[in-house]
Amino acid sequence: MDIKGIRTEDRALLDVLKSAIVALEEGEALGAAEKVVAAGIDAKLALRYAIAEAAAIVGAKFDCGEYFLPQLVISGDLMDAVSKILEKNIPQADVEKKKIIVIGTVQADVHSVGKNLVATMLKSGGFQVVDLGVDVASASFIEKAKDLNADMIALSSLLTTTMPYQREVIDDLASMGIRDRFKVLIGGGPVTEEYAGKIGADGYGRDAIDAVEVAKKLLAVE
Amino acid sequence: MLTLLEIAERTQTGEKIEDKKWDKMFYENITRLVKKYGIIVPSEHRFINMDDDLAERAFQAALEFLETTGIYCLTTRRRVALTREEILTAIREAPAEILMGDGRDRRVWKQRKIEGREKLNVCPGHHTPFSEDLAGLVVHNFAQIPRTDFIEGFNFTHIEGREIMGPPMEVYASRRQVNWMREGVRKAGRPGLAIVYYPINTRAEDLIGVMDPENGLRRTDGILLSLLPDLKMEQDMLSAAIVYEEYGSFKLSGSFAIIGGFCGGIDGAIIEGIAKPIAAMIAYRDYINYTGVEHVHMLNGRQILVPHVNWARSVVNQALNRYSHTICMRWVIPTSGPGTDLCLWEGAMQAVEAPLNGMNLYAPRHCRTTMNHGQTPVEAEWMIEVSDAVIEQGLDREAGNELLGRIATQFENKQPCAGHDIGECYDLIHHQPRKEYAAIYHTVKKELREMGLKALS
Repeated sequence: MDIKGIRTEDRALLDVLKSAIVALEEGEALGAAEKVVAAGIDAKLALRYAIAEAAAIVGAKFDCGEYFLPQLVISGDLMDAVSKILEKNIPQADVEKKKIIVIGTVQADVHSVGKNLVATMLKSGGFQVVDLGVDVASASFIEKAKDLNADMIALSSLLTTTMPYQREVIDDLASMGIRDRFKVLIGGGPVTEEYAGKIGADGYGRDAIDAVEVAKKLLAVE
Repeated sequence: MLTLLEIAERTQTGEKIEDKKWDKMFYENITRLVKKYGIIVPSEHRFINMDDDLAERAFQAALEFLETTGIYCLTTRRRVALTREEILTAIREAPAEILMGDGRDRRVWKQRKIEGREKLNVCPGHHTPFSEDLAGLVVHNFAQIPRTDFIEGFNFTHIEGREIMGPPMEVYASRRQVNWMREGVRKAGRPGLAIVYYPINTRAEDLIGVMDPENGLRRTDGILLSLLPDLKMEQDMLSAAIVYEEYGSFKLSGSFAIIGGFCGGIDGAIIEGIAKPIAAMIAYRDYINYTGVEHVHMLNGRQILVPHVNWARSVVNQALNRYSHTICMRWVIPTSGPGTDLCLWEGAMQAVEAPLNGMNLYAPRHCRTTMNHGQTPVEAEWMIEVSDAVIEQGLDREAGNELLGRIATQFENKQPCAGHDIGECYDLIHHQPRKEYAAIYHTVKKELREMGLKALS
């Protein structure tokens, strides 16, 4: 069903839900989600309309400097909680599976700000994001990606001397014969598109906003 | 001041806390204190803060923030708690001057005064990657700048034709970095000039392996031991701080706050920006700090100027200068690369700000720096000229603010431009900009003079 085809009062309910997420009003958002379920509104439509549009608005607010990392984290958690409520009436088999991205800062690098921004923006962008933190060894990225049957591994590096550890993950995937199983996205202060091409990464994110666009493109997410 | 051994113990015994919980607490505490102390971004657009009462409130907010939040040890995931008395003692006992270098190249690096009339201390370069083939020549060029008080090292990807990867190669490369630095300053006729080791990596062996009174890091040199954003420290850095404290080298930290990170917006960044250098001083004995606030969109090179960022930087530095001994530096991170007029205009803006807010000058380099594409000596020399002119002309904060408003018009409707590799816009053999960059420099200088900085000779 299309959003245009639903009843005015249902549309109003979804707007309340969307606004509450954007305003980071947890109680109001969870309450609105329950009302959406009680009203029998198609859950998939609600997810597509309320959550996806809220995520886009939150992203735009970050882009224009109105929202920052904490707001992204809060909205991401809130979207998760709302999704769980909306999905409870959908048979498990019908729940739209989110693309999974395993992210972290590579081995020997403890810088986290850029990686945190990318992780939260990806989450807001509709991905399931598993953040392994900083100073993550190649084996840990690969093991987690295999365990979760992830779609993408995202590697951050802020130091010139830790950039080779991005390549190491790609090389390790290749030597294990599983390079094609995961898309690899790289980024970080000294990293360039040229470097991404050189080491055989699938994509390069110049910043958090760009990274979401590239991830969506690589994983064919609308 | 708390001993580093005491800090080390607290990293082992402090409250255990997960990263996510720390980040949440960090944001909640800052948000609460922004409200409590009335840290409000003015509606009027200013570059330099004139509200001394606000600077004092911001400092008090930062004290309470440190007292209620502490420092987070990433290695052990424990909170290093600090009492108010411990923080105040550290602030009181910290030196406002650092001696560095040796013999005739000995320098005193000082805390500046707001609208101070003494010429600024200068670190003209590096903290940006250069390739092995250019290393010695680049250091030589920067060391030739007469006003250089110390010079910092740099990163690189290859050593003797091999890609640097893993601790042994990092240690080897670290030692070569300081060897090149020593050799470069010697060739420039300044053998005693202080050099600062730029960590190839933050492992303890990399940090400590460069100590060498003959050809490496001397007791009169320094090391960059930066506290991470969101008041996070590491045990490897602390280990190095302990060793260098006994060895005698000075230490410095990158202590600005990032607007857009867990501190939230500009108001929260002001509090973190004041708290962080104090925390760095307590955790690692970093007495020299590059301070202020930066915006994540500026660090990414998405926007040249973000409203109120310069003002927030001004509040932070004024507060630190007025209420602590923190020796502040302005790390200039232009969004445009070397060889461009925008890069020089961005440098000019911050060289006007620095003496008015009480900051020294530190290693200007492009925000998206890549190999051999971060800086040339021109940017540093230009900033020295501009800051000297501000001092000579006797500009005060109000006049400086007006001048900055005129400079800001240069950025209207412009996007950052990438610029050039050092070899393309600078002649490293003859220590001078190439013709095109020299012409840009003269044009920008003429226009800045016409804007009102008449003392620019």
